[in-house]
Amino acid sequence: MDERQIHVVEIRAPIATVWAEITKLRHIQKPMFNTVLETDFRPGSRMIYRSDDGKRVFIIGEVREFVPPTRFVHTFRFTNLPETPTLVEWQLEESDGMTKVTVTHSKFIDQQKTADSVRTSWTTILGNIKSVVETGDVPLGTRIKHGLMDTFMFMAPKETLRENIAELRQANRGGDHGKG
Amino acid sequence: MISSHDDLDPVWRALANPLRRQILDLLREHPRTTGEIADALGDSRFVVMQHLASLREAALVTVEVDGRRRINYLNPVPIQRIYERWVGKYQGDWASALVGLKRSVEFNTASHHDRRRKPKNG
Repeated sequence: MDERQIHVVEIRAPIATVWAEITKLRHIQKPMFNTVLETDFRPGSRMIYRSDDGKRVFIIGEVREFVPPTRFVHTFRFTNLPETPTLVEWQLEESDGMTKVTVTHSKFIDQQKTADSVRTSWTTILGNIKSVVETGDVPLGTRIKHGLMDTFMFMAPKETLRENIAELRQANRGGDHGKG
Repeated sequence: MISSHDDLDPVWRALANPLRRQILDLLREHPRTTGEIADALGDSRFVVMQHLASLREAALVTVEVDGRRRINYLNPVPIQRIYERWVGKYQGDWASALVGLKRSVEFNTASHHDRRRKPKNG
């Protein structure tokens, strides 16, 4: 199976505003389920989406392309699923004061679990980016979901704990991991 | 508050037609070329192309060109926005109650532990 998913949203905002939300560092990205993006955006560098307190890492990948304000490509693996990394491509285009965001998620090779899980997530995430950029917050349903996730965080798989992620243990030995 | 009501107009128009909803059902299974959709529906390619145009305008379908083939993908984001707008707020009751319950259980457990760890006078 080689599934490929494309999700699109049109946002009433300049491309720079949308790009800033998607590539925001150090602060939580509400549309990405309140995670914090950590990376230096250099092709070949590691990128992670982690919990605000830094204890858990949910998504780990490698930057492939970074071309502000139109394109961000990175590999993608859920830390709790032992699958090979998939590929995420963010593409932004602006016309008539609207910014179109296209997320293409591909390279699912026999990865039904990741494919099923991200399909609903991208739908929510893109709707949320629109909502945050246009109104300043995510919709109520998502806020409730965030509350639930915070509450049940202690039950999240232990594989998401930073100290249990092999790639990050190696990186830490190098010494220069950026702390927000 | 910036209203985005008008954004959903094309979505409602697109969803108002049964054949277009059938196309969305087909694409929910997996992405398909225009020809494959026409075959599955037993309809003419021309008719299907017209309906796809309306679905694209509503951003319910997005197209990727692969050589000479045009592959149509379902984009459920606009439907999610309809859901958030009319249904999202009703999720509140049970979900927030659950969170509240969980928090109060945790709070009680935590304060119980605290009491055991460092007993206070009185």
